[in-house]
Amino acid sequence: MTTAPTVAPGSVSALSARELRRAAWSRWGYRLSVVAGWAVFVGVWYLVARFVFTPQQLPQPHVVATEAWDVLTQRDFSTNIQASILRVVAGFLLALVLSVGLGLLIAYSKWWRRLLNSLLLFIVSVPTVSFAILSLIVLGISPMGPIINAMLVATPYITMNLAQGLTGVDRRLIVMSESFGRTRPQIITGVLIPSSLLSILSGARLAFAVAWRMELLTEVFASSEGIGFQIRRSFESYDIRGMLAWAVLFIIIMLLIENLVFRQIERRLSRWRSPEVGTTQ
Amino acid sequence: MATVLIENLTKIYPPTLNHARQVQALGGLNMSITGNVFVAIVGPSGSGKTTLLNIVAGVERPTSGSVRALQEGVPAQIGYVFQEPRLLPWRTVVDNMLYVQDRKSDRSRREAEFYLQMVGLSEVADLYPSQLSAGMQQRVGIARAFLVNPDVLLLDEPFSHLDALTGRSLRDYLQRIWLQTRKTALFVTHDVTEAVELADRIIMLRPGGVAYDDIAITLPRPRRPADPAVRDVQDEVLRRFDAMGAAVRFGTAQAAR
Repeated sequence: MTTAPTVAPGSVSALSARELRRAAWSRWGYRLSVVAGWAVFVGVWYLVARFVFTPQQLPQPHVVATEAWDVLTQRDFSTNIQASILRVVAGFLLALVLSVGLGLLIAYSKWWRRLLNSLLLFIVSVPTVSFAILSLIVLGISPMGPIINAMLVATPYITMNLAQGLTGVDRRLIVMSESFGRTRPQIITGVLIPSSLLSILSGARLAFAVAWRMELLTEVFASSEGIGFQIRRSFESYDIRGMLAWAVLFIIIMLLIENLVFRQIERRLSRWRSPEVGTTQ
Repeated sequence: MATVLIENLTKIYPPTLNHARQVQALGGLNMSITGNVFVAIVGPSGSGKTTLLNIVAGVERPTSGSVRALQEGVPAQIGYVFQEPRLLPWRTVVDNMLYVQDRKSDRSRREAEFYLQMVGLSEVADLYPSQLSAGMQQRVGIARAFLVNPDVLLLDEPFSHLDALTGRSLRDYLQRIWLQTRKTALFVTHDVTEAVELADRIIMLRPGGVAYDDIAITLPRPRRPADPAVRDVQDEVLRRFDAMGAAVRFGTAQAAR
């Protein structure tokens, strides 16, 4: 391996030109594989729509894309999207607050761990459609149904990851902190929380995706606006193009949130994990 | 002037899933260290060296007996250098140092940079630990311990995880900083050469955490392992170390004090 000029004298070496080229190729290779994956998906969709189904059963991709554009430029698009996003964010934030308390209990109390582990497992195992129907029965057509359901399904994922993160903290770092006279609050903010952040984030990511789906499903049954409601309305009028257009827009929003929010936070939090420079003794 | 008073210190670990029987790490240890001296504590594995430092640092409780680390009658500020660097991986080098300080100001940053300079790392202040070699990380650990302006400096085999050359260079750094700051230091090692090179006094512990011997080293500093006088002292310490090993094996070892 060739070595490049040092960053710090006699200590840290930078990546060689060859390694940088390899890294650039690897990045482009990744992007190309993502594009290729989507191209294959759309291609298969086109072929199936063209040769297996009628346009009423499964419209071709470009027809759905045109319909999605029409939906996007409609006035009620922003009203519906806003309603869905606000509910899922509200449910997710409630889950986050609840999970902090539950995660701490699971991490530090055997009794609570036994009790909550089985309870959370139970919630994860309940079919999501049962929550949606139950909220229609209990709360009727109300914005509270999607919010509560999103919170319920998101909580186990964040809680379990938070508890796992807290119990996995390197004990030696706590001993180091104590030996230098750090107080309990300083250890919590300086060691426990930062070392669990990535674990919490991976739970939050999963929880957000689950909460989105749950919120959408609840809207299908128990709401008068939102993406889920629009999908149901399209289905009721046998408008498959409209149904798929709303579903495609939903997927695009999910991908945007994943890439613009979660991936950016993850990149920021894990900066220290991916050093751009090599090391020497 | 700092004082470390250890009186009848005993530490017994209760049985665990891995160890069916209780383990005595320290057995009625008595020791008094006064003034700005560098004391090496040597002994084989299981002689309670690390346990002793942890109790002095206040991160472990003794089973019985007491440890008092005082500076002018008040509890002494402790600085601890561990076997591994124990740096917070998500903080930069300078932030790792500032973590152990109570005040966070420009002055504390300048102080951190001063100690980084003393260990030859002023240019890596804003790098993350994962970007440093093991030796550099340990140098940060040493600088961090000095940053708190410790009255008592604890060093727990800080060179044991490093290769010989890096260990050699770190001993030089440590010796240089210690000569400038002259802190009361308790240095745990199982390497007699290291102990003779750095210490004013060597306390030997035998298995079970009982003091066996106490040797004063009066050689001038800085010391180099190749110096004939250093080698003579090393030979003498090694002879006593072997004698302790034989005495332990034949069951005739007695506590020195």
